[in-house]
Amino acid sequence: MSELARIEVASRGRQALVRVHGEIDLSNARDLSAAIEGAVRNDTPTLVIDLTDATYLDSTGVQLLFILAERLRTRRHELRLIVPKEAPIRAVLELTGLASIVSMEPSFDPGASEDGRPDAEAGTAG
Amino acid sequence: MLMTVLEAVLVAAAYYLSARLALRLALIEKNVTPLWPPTGIAVVGFLLLGRRIWPGIALAAFLVNVPITPTPWVALATAAGNTLAPFVAAELLRLVGFRREIDRLRDAIAIVLLASLLAMLISATIGAAALRLSHGIRSDDFAAAWAVWWTGDAMGVLVVAPFLLSLLLFRPRVPTSWARRVEAVALFVALTALTLAVARNHHPILFVVLPLLGWAAWRFQQRGAAPAALLVAGIVTWAADHDWGPFAHTTLFAKMLTLQAFNATVAFASFVFAALVMERIRAREALETAAAELEERVRRRTAELSTANRWLTREITDRRDAEHRLHLRERQLAEAQQLAHIGSWDWLIDDDRVTWSDEMYRIYGHEPQQFPVTFERAVEQVLPEDQGRIQGNVAEALRSTADRALPATEFRIRRPDGRERVLLAKSKLLVGRDGRPQRMVGTVQDVTEDKQAEREHRIAVTLQRSLLPERVPEIPGVLLAARYVPATADAEVGGDWYDVVPLPDGRVGVGIGDVAGHGLRAASAMGQLRMALRAYAVEESSPAAVVGRLRQLVALLAHTEMATLLYLVFDPETVSVTFANAGHPPPLLIGDDGSAAFLESVPAPPLGTVAHADAYVDATSPLPPGGTLLLFTDGLIERRGVSLRRGMARLKRHAVQARGDLDGLCDHLLATFDADEASDDIALLALRPLPIAAGSVHVRVPADPKALAPLRRTIRRWLREIHAEAQDGYEILVACGEACANAIQHPYGATEGILDVLLARADGEVEVVVSDSGTWRRASPPGGGHGLLLMRAFMDSVEVDTGVAGTVVRMRKRLADGGSA
Repeated sequence: MSELARIEVASRGRQALVRVHGEIDLSNARDLSAAIEGAVRNDTPTLVIDLTDATYLDSTGVQLLFILAERLRTRRHELRLIVPKEAPIRAVLELTGLASIVSMEPSFDPGASEDGRPDAEAGTAG
Repeated sequence: MLMTVLEAVLVAAAYYLSARLALRLALIEKNVTPLWPPTGIAVVGFLLLGRRIWPGIALAAFLVNVPITPTPWVALATAAGNTLAPFVAAELLRLVGFRREIDRLRDAIAIVLLASLLAMLISATIGAAALRLSHGIRSDDFAAAWAVWWTGDAMGVLVVAPFLLSLLLFRPRVPTSWARRVEAVALFVALTALTLAVARNHHPILFVVLPLLGWAAWRFQQRGAAPAALLVAGIVTWAADHDWGPFAHTTLFAKMLTLQAFNATVAFASFVFAALVMERIRAREALETAAAELEERVRRRTAELSTANRWLTREITDRRDAEHRLHLRERQLAEAQQLAHIGSWDWLIDDDRVTWSDEMYRIYGHEPQQFPVTFERAVEQVLPEDQGRIQGNVAEALRSTADRALPATEFRIRRPDGRERVLLAKSKLLVGRDGRPQRMVGTVQDVTEDKQAEREHRIAVTLQRSLLPERVPEIPGVLLAARYVPATADAEVGGDWYDVVPLPDGRVGVGIGDVAGHGLRAASAMGQLRMALRAYAVEESSPAAVVGRLRQLVALLAHTEMATLLYLVFDPETVSVTFANAGHPPPLLIGDDGSAAFLESVPAPPLGTVAHADAYVDATSPLPPGGTLLLFTDGLIERRGVSLRRGMARLKRHAVQARGDLDGLCDHLLATFDADEASDDIALLALRPLPIAAGSVHVRVPADPKALAPLRRTIRRWLREIHAEAQDGYEILVACGEACANAIQHPYGATEGILDVLLARADGEVEVVVSDSGTWRRASPPGGGHGLLLMRAFMDSVEVDTGVAGTVVRMRKRLADGGSA
């Protein structure tokens, strides 16, 4: 794969887990956002985006996360981010204030899910 | 005069000596002998030496007679008679044309009748009369004396003269064979013996010697007959003198009669027979000569005839050869016309008769010589839209008054089966002596296929051009240059290609390949490969995987063409290439230190051949600072008459000579090739990592969001080279990215532009300058204003300077470690 970033979607009971690998910038943020949003179903009110393997995130990506969070809120859905404490992108998320409206956890907590049936579904976005 | 005297003396001596010998045979007194050889000697002397010797003979005769005559007067008279008689004999013989060889009957008769019997009457009469008058003899003895004298002289002539003459014949004209000599000796021995035998016999059988004389005459002619006659006459005369055998107890008269009759018979028979044989021999010789001559003439004539015949035969052969050659040439011409699709024609203008070659008929879609042609008929099949032009050209040419070649012209015809053909006509007008157009001759070439090929060539060239990148894309962090040179104009379009694929993750895919074959098919196969490569390059991260998938694709294509391919991925961050090679010449790595080396990898077969799926493996090579990687097709190393190895060595040599930028390198390499040497088309691509000098780098970034990923890879490389700490590096990366994203998103929109990004490190501080030629828009930045916030947060200072020419964002940041590097 020569994509800049790709996502992995998994269903954890009522949670949708999306892992983002690679870099997010102006060139792929919009496509990634659409792909991630597509992973959200009505029976999965919580969307968890795992940014552990996201190596680069710029303001375009941050802006899209703001928009995504806003949309999910109107649908009574919840957005949660997983960002390790030492991740370089953490500073970007904190500086832009996203951290104040979206919960950020250092790692994925499987206890939050109702049943642990793994349902992997992979998708990519240029 | 001296000679005459000498000859006369010699003859006189011979005369005298022979007389003294003969006198011993005297029958009457002492001076009348039955055989008187001096007379024969005198006749021969006159015949051979001429009249002038008479004094010698007269003197000798006088001296002979003086002792045997009573008075000198008688001797003188006798000598006169003895001189006069042979003189007259010789004169008579000369008068009748006597030949000394006595080889004719008339010569034999002449010597018997004239020289001996007639002429000797003189000497006998004078001698006998002198004797009587001097009372040497009695009157009743006169008749006998006269008779003996006459017969003695006659016999002397008859026996001695032929013998002496025959001696002359012994100068042999042809060498005598041994057999003949033995025969001659045997003959003479036998003749002597027989003559002696019969001469001593009492019975009168002298005539038995005649057969042997005949033998001598027959076998040896005068040369045999004369000596034989002399021998026999001599022996018999001797016998008569000594009263042997038949001559005993007879009277003197009877003795004389017998002797003289015998001697006359012997001489006459011998000479006549010899002359007859001679005559016959000569006749035969003449006949033989004539026959030989005739034969020679026949032979010569035959030779002439056979020469003429040979000449005629050669003439016929030559003519046949010439005809054969003519036929051959005609056939070759016809074949050549057929091969080249060229027909020829000849128009006799006055008669309006056109002669078409066989190929003309074929070009026009007919059987050869199917119908007679006129000008009207010749232009009938020309398409209406071309007919006017052709007729106009001809009409204009016909106004010419001198020979002239018409410009070549193209026109179309329709064959009877409805198909159109494009013909190229070349013609010439020939003018007669009167200045009027007489003939037009020319050729017509069917160029339909050529036209078709030309069109295809044009399409192929266009196709290939369109399939190759219009220009090499600008990708941050890497410098690229490429060239494509088609093979010489008349050759077909090749299948060489290259492509540069900017990968979404910021790496750069570069492919170069060569599809086997030429023309439209190769060009279209190449197009398919290129498109497939673009797709697979994005899907697959590993070059070997990309090449592997292309192998599968080629195997599925309907017309499987063989194709070589070198695909590599350049990473601007690690400054290394990873590549896989399917039968393509390896890339050449040129260092800035004058070194050059081909990057070898595991050899793998070209696409389109039977290759194992795992045949292609990745090879990775770092590119040294200032290094250049050269990718090329075999057209660059393949030259007529030069091995591939030498071609590669030559490329290396030229590559290290080049200085300056990549375009300069490409042009330099192509310039080392003569246009004539380019037997194949050439694709050439040079790649060089963006140079970083003294901690600063200038990156040109297309105003395209896709350029951000390679830009970041380049910045990371730079950060690594200036030894920036991870956190500092990330912040600089984000700040720079934000500045560029802002410029890309807003000033240009859909149009293309270039951002200049300058990254420099000095005195422990980093400066980042991003310039664009557009207008900085604060209103709605892509990150909703977060971009500027991040820039200000991460950098120590941010200045935005918006001018007429564009916007410059200048940012500074002091590095955490204080810039120890």
